[in-house]
Amino acid sequence: MRSFIILLAGLFLANTALAEPVGSPIPVGIAVGQTTNVALFGEEQVNGAKVAEKLLNEKGGVGGTPIRLAFQDTGGDEAGAINAFQNLISRDKVVAIIGPTLSQQAFAANPIANQAKVPVVGPSNTAKGIAQIGEYVSRISAPMTLVAPNALKRALKLNPNVKNVAVVYAQDDAFNVSETGIFQEAIKGMGLNITTIQKTSVKDTDFTTQVTAILGAGVDMVVMSCLAADGGNMVKQLRQLGYEGLIVGGNGFNSPNMYPVCGQECTGVIVAQAYSPKADNAENKAFSAAFKDMFKKDPAQFSAQAYTSVKVVVDALNEVEKSSGKKIAEMDTAELRTALNAAIVSSSYDTPLGEIVLDADGEITQKTFYVSQIKVADDGKTGTMELLPE
Amino acid sequence: MNIVFLLQSFINGLSIGSVYAIFALGYTLVFSILGIINFAHGAVFTLGAYCTYALAVGDFGLNGLLAGMSLPFRLPFPLALLGGSLLAGGIGVLVERLAFRPLRAKGADPLLALVSSLGVALILVNCLQFLVGAEIYAFPSGIFGSLPMAMVFKMDGKVLAVRTVQIIILVVSLAMLLALAWFMNRTRMGKALQATAENPETASLLGIHVDRYILSTFFISGALGGLSGTLIGASFGLAGPYFGVSYGLKGLAVIVLGGLGSIPGAVLGGLVIGLGEAFLPPDYSSMKEAVAFVMLFVILLARPQGLLGRQTIQKV
Repeated sequence: MRSFIILLAGLFLANTALAEPVGSPIPVGIAVGQTTNVALFGEEQVNGAKVAEKLLNEKGGVGGTPIRLAFQDTGGDEAGAINAFQNLISRDKVVAIIGPTLSQQAFAANPIANQAKVPVVGPSNTAKGIAQIGEYVSRISAPMTLVAPNALKRALKLNPNVKNVAVVYAQDDAFNVSETGIFQEAIKGMGLNITTIQKTSVKDTDFTTQVTAILGAGVDMVVMSCLAADGGNMVKQLRQLGYEGLIVGGNGFNSPNMYPVCGQECTGVIVAQAYSPKADNAENKAFSAAFKDMFKKDPAQFSAQAYTSVKVVVDALNEVEKSSGKKIAEMDTAELRTALNAAIVSSSYDTPLGEIVLDADGEITQKTFYVSQIKVADDGKTGTMELLPE
Repeated sequence: MNIVFLLQSFINGLSIGSVYAIFALGYTLVFSILGIINFAHGAVFTLGAYCTYALAVGDFGLNGLLAGMSLPFRLPFPLALLGGSLLAGGIGVLVERLAFRPLRAKGADPLLALVSSLGVALILVNCLQFLVGAEIYAFPSGIFGSLPMAMVFKMDGKVLAVRTVQIIILVVSLAMLLALAWFMNRTRMGKALQATAENPETASLLGIHVDRYILSTFFISGALGGLSGTLIGASFGLAGPYFGVSYGLKGLAVIVLGGLGSIPGAVLGGLVIGLGEAFLPPDYSSMKEAVAFVMLFVILLARPQGLLGRQTIQKV
């Protein structure tokens, strides 16, 4: 038994001590939730990543060497994320991981990557403290501190007579709770009255009680921090039960999934966005066109953020190749992971989200946010988000 | 608490509770005959809703293997509802063939069938996602023809609002419950099903083809699951292939609360939980999922056999 343990330990040490070249194509891990109720977001992220793989490889990948995305489903829980990360690190030997979908999964799985010295780029983790999990953790998903007040200002341009406001938020979703705080401060800062605050759950489907309370409060504007499914349903029920005033939705509304949920009732809803398919920058135009070509629809924010994450990794790989003078495919995997992480942080990137900057912690600063208005097509299932003028 | 709030909550609770009741009836029918829970019932609920959507709307969205494809026809909602329910019944039969019959034939422990039904449920849901993706589907606003979207009444200066879809849910659910009661108590087949549930061996000796009746039970159970899935989907949209999971858990709470194997119990349990959820103040709506299980816990402490369940008498 003792000799067996020594043999195993020897094999382990030998395995870790041996230099392993990265090889071609360069493996990049994508660990997002493709099953369970996170699948809706994970599917959009997979689509965005696939567009990135195609577009960036067409542009020559990393100094002529293509990248290859290794997909792992994390499901919707922490155990799934940990398992996916472990597979990508030890089996697929990826140079970096993009994922996971949810913040709570990131808190569980990112320390594993950090310990293994594998860079992680969070495509959609907006909770506080994600970038501070460890040296090897970055994110490209920004909190919504700027966009909420902007969206309210644009709404007041559409109707300057707004006085009384109803606030709705999903109280069981960390992102929406923090977003409603920003909205509520901005509403008070503009001198408007918050007449009623209605709390919901992301799992809710029947909002008749909340809608009745809002209708009874006689408000001019409803400001909502919910996700597409629950928020879309509530918009539908508000409109069906006779509410005709302005509706402003937070970043959770920034998804094409809004259109089929509430159909024509969505038209006119103002949405605060961290990404707009209509964003006027070269990166976004190329990405949007390629996405539409592949999937016959406009990209969602989750797709754009996944694309951005892959682009950040590829740009940083190019930087490493240029500064080291070595071909990435020939570099030792462990050595490359460390060099890659150093290249990812403290850099700026041109992306479909506009220009973003990652600081030394890997925390994002996003320069541009957007405010749009939903226009649903006659089929009631598709639509567009038209940018509102400044 | 004012009268309008109480009335509003009552209407909401009655509407959603009647759907829970239909859904739970599917569980109860299978349990009363086989003595086991069919964990694939939530998946059948989901598939039924998707089948109705496909028949009524005729296309398959933009993700998955069927992306961009469409059916050469569209059915009016009542026919699509019927078609979706029948297809769900067919899926129920498939579940019986895959998860239950092979194990029953080998005399396996009933617990194994429970696990295998859970496996079949996961396979079905994953196949569904593979085919149509995880995007949200919603029935178009005009699905109910020229009916108005809602009715809004003013009472004491307050607003009482009823969505048309809530009335449709209530009417369809009550009609289905009455039809099922008539079928079970007034038809030869219904009585044969009850005899099979009472004692399969004796029923077999009396010339009842037990396997055939078990299959029929799964068909009826699946159709009820599909019908309830469609009613929920028509009201709130189809929130991805996993949207039946929470209803599956709630259905379990309903049948235990009402009394395992009791058909009237399933109806009462559904209504009690629906009303319990509806009377929850808006501020606590995120606790909705817990309501069913808190009620279950409290009632089981007082009546371990459930509201209308019969106590098991052990002869010694």
